[in-house]
Amino acid sequence: MTSSPLPPRRRVAVLLCWLALVLAAGWQISRTTFSADLSAFLPSDPDPQQRLLIEQLGSGVPARTLLIGIDGADAQVRAEASRALAAKMRDSGLFEQVHNGERSDWADVGAWLVEHRYQLSPAVDAQRFTAAGLRDAIEETLSLLGTPAGHLLKPLLERDPTGETQRIAESLIPSNAPRSEAGVWASRQGARALLVASTRAAGSDLDAQAAAQALVREAFAAVAPAGLALQLSGAPVFAVDSRAQIESEVRWLAVAGSLLVSALLLLAFASLPALGAALLPVATGVLAGITAVSLGFGGVHGITLGFGTTLIGEAVDYAIYFLIQSRKAGWRAWLQSSWPTVRLGLLTSMCGFGALIFSGFPGLAQLGLFTVSGLLGAALATRFVMPVLLPEGSRGQGLRRQLGRLGQAAVDALPRLRWPLLALGVAAAGLLAARGDLWHAELGSLSPISAEALALDASLRADLSAGDARSLVVVQAADIEGTLQRAEAAAARLEPLIDSGAIGGWDSVTRFLPSLARQRERLSHLPPAAPLRAALAEATREGPLRAARLEPFVAEVQRAREQSPITLESLQGTALAPLVDALLLQRDDGSWVALLPLQPIAGDRIDSAAVSQALRGLPGTQLLEIGRALAELYARYLGEAQVQALLGALGVVAVMALALRSWRRLLAVCQPLLLAVLLTMGTLALLQVQLGILHLVGLLLVVAVGSNYALFFDMLQRDGHADPDTLASLLLANLTTVLSFGLIAMSAIPALSAIGRVVAPGALLALLLSAAFAPRPAAVP
Amino acid sequence: MLAAFGLPALAFDLGALATLLAERRSAETRFTEERTVSGLDGPLRSSGTLSFSAPDRFARHTLEPRAESMVVEGNTVSIRRGGRTRQMALDAVPELTALIAAVRGTLTGDVAALRQHFRVQVAGTAASWTMTLVPRDDRLAAQVRELQIVGQRGELRTLELSLAGGDRSLMIIEPLPPLPPAPGDAPRTGTAAPR
Repeated sequence: MTSSPLPPRRRVAVLLCWLALVLAAGWQISRTTFSADLSAFLPSDPDPQQRLLIEQLGSGVPARTLLIGIDGADAQVRAEASRALAAKMRDSGLFEQVHNGERSDWADVGAWLVEHRYQLSPAVDAQRFTAAGLRDAIEETLSLLGTPAGHLLKPLLERDPTGETQRIAESLIPSNAPRSEAGVWASRQGARALLVASTRAAGSDLDAQAAAQALVREAFAAVAPAGLALQLSGAPVFAVDSRAQIESEVRWLAVAGSLLVSALLLLAFASLPALGAALLPVATGVLAGITAVSLGFGGVHGITLGFGTTLIGEAVDYAIYFLIQSRKAGWRAWLQSSWPTVRLGLLTSMCGFGALIFSGFPGLAQLGLFTVSGLLGAALATRFVMPVLLPEGSRGQGLRRQLGRLGQAAVDALPRLRWPLLALGVAAAGLLAARGDLWHAELGSLSPISAEALALDASLRADLSAGDARSLVVVQAADIEGTLQRAEAAAARLEPLIDSGAIGGWDSVTRFLPSLARQRERLSHLPPAAPLRAALAEATREGPLRAARLEPFVAEVQRAREQSPITLESLQGTALAPLVDALLLQRDDGSWVALLPLQPIAGDRIDSAAVSQALRGLPGTQLLEIGRALAELYARYLGEAQVQALLGALGVVAVMALALRSWRRLLAVCQPLLLAVLLTMGTLALLQVQLGILHLVGLLLVVAVGSNYALFFDMLQRDGHADPDTLASLLLANLTTVLSFGLIAMSAIPALSAIGRVVAPGALLALLLSAAFAPRPAAVP
Repeated sequence: MLAAFGLPALAFDLGALATLLAERRSAETRFTEERTVSGLDGPLRSSGTLSFSAPDRFARHTLEPRAESMVVEGNTVSIRRGGRTRQMALDAVPELTALIAAVRGTLTGDVAALRQHFRVQVAGTAASWTMTLVPRDDRLAAQVRELQIVGQRGELRTLELSLAGGDRSLMIIEPLPPLPPAPGDAPRTGTAAPR
């Protein structure tokens, strides 16, 4: 009790300074947007392939496509509900397309296709309107007449004897359509009607997505008779649900974490002022972390926030050290004896997480920045604000004495276990070396989607077969005409792949919107009336179809010669606009992208090697497989994080080496950390846990937290004795860390539980091992 | 017919016909088809082969006047016309589902499949029978008025399709003559031999 308090003016100044900073942080946070999508886990500086992937994940059709199932009752009832629901959804204006298998979907489109058939038909070429070409085309048309397949063709026979409409329609038949039952799409497995809808709003606009989903639920409730159940799935549903889940989990974890740590502190200090003071650096740290991320990234990801609750457990350590250790000789003495150790621990932790800030992935970089600034904020609050509020530490006794005694007993007993512990460490290292496939996990492991939700999604996707567009050819060019021409070139290479069985089919915007060059070329092959009549006369000689009947054909060909070209503008507002918008996009930089989704042959996969081979040499044309691209991305992400974690760990060692200036002491400090990491990883390997990025982050945390413990034991050794207060503070600090990470370990969000499951046991091990391997005090009295 | 009425124990009905039809596990036949289409000066003729193997593979290869094919296997339909192949899911097109059910149901004697899509009438005797199929589904009925199949015991002889607009198609089916087998075509003659 020897240290004098700061002069009142300084105290007021410090508090005002702190308050101003907290207010500024609060203001910044109030303006911050919080996100919960996958975007944080996509690279911020993507290569071209990744850029396509990110576009597709963010605004592509899959990201805004809802898969809807109607279960229950009988087929007729389901079909009526499907039609009623689809009508309501179309009327809402929220959806670009709503498909449920009704034929009327195509009624308007059909008339338009007939009108523009000579611009659209892939069969129109230089040969088509010669006598031989006409004969061949008419023969092909006749081959369908008098069969059920000819019933749509026959009414058009005199206008379209060459079957251009048939030719266009044929190319639009999907290779893999859903089953049709009672006039609407139905599941092949069970009693379920199916719908697919894409929203107008981008997939990343979660509020709009939530509104669209609410509309579907309300519309269904309004139209469906009792006994029917709605199933809703698709990427937008996952995104909206994840956000809700992350929000509720983060709130729950923050409350539970605060309560748990508070209870522990109350037990330890039996003093409310001590509790309030201990939570102050924690709150400061969390505020500092969020503010820094908000300033640095322009927004905060929900996962980062969830991570904030783990910071509670770590940041409270600083306060505990201060409250207990300054009790002995006041804050000035603490500043002299313990603060350098705390500061060094802070530096090592910052070093460890600083490496993550340079990650190319915003999610990881946010985590790094959040932790670094959070720890810094908490430590500074401890260093400057705590001495003002409680200059002599905490007066309360609580369980402190018991903790101290327990600590002393452990310090006496643990070193005897050195050899067994070392042996365990070696065994763990051997196990890890033997298991080559330790690091594995998918990007999906970061997302909080439940297994049931995934199963529902998979079953709806299987029912809808073609509805998911996971493989697509992406074609890009500076302007729309160039893009369409490249799409036509790509389509020409894809067509033979249908015959060879590599793909079942392909879609392209150029079926409705050919390039101007292609349209002009097709129209240039249309002959004037006189030569057309002459060719027709020759082509129909001896055939059953008389040329005289085909005057409407001659007239329509003449009209088509004068037709103005189909343009993107001319399609606006037509029934085709949504189809075109889904397949042709303009980027922010003005360039254009055409998407050619590939359909597999029923029950088979797309032969991507054959597709890539076929596309070779085409400029601006790439095959994008979303599933595989994501897996590659995650692998890169993991590799990068491993390097960064290693650099971070090296940084920790370097800082300690500089501070300790002794190889022997450095070794003594590093030994328990290495063992803690090895034993934690070995346990996870024994439990068959596949390690992913967040386990790696957790291990980094173990090193960062553990280095504090190891440094304290180093300090105790230097001081010549292990004083019960410092031991009590270490034990208490460790308990709060283990408990708050134990809480996170129970989270339903895989990203958070992965970190918790590593850090909770890892931190405990780090403390025990630090005690076990602490050098014997130099001079034992 | 009178004989059939006189001997009720021998009455020939759908069940008896199905038993006859189900005996055949595979078939390989030639067909010639004549289609009468209003507005055309003459009939349209074509010919080719039909083949079937239980339980669900059916193929129609038109050889004249143009090479075309339709192969149905399970739920997948592959159509090849004019050098282009298109695949589609059979059950995505209800009209096609019903028509294929008529053909496959007849070939396998699957009474349930026939009755699901058609009102079925059988007349005649085992030695010479006629089966008439009228679509139940409105949409198919708008295209196809009826299907009449004439056969002798387990073999189909003619298949006549009356379309809603008045057009007709008559398909005459003959067992494949024991042609000199093309190389690698041995199994086909094998199945045709017991004739």
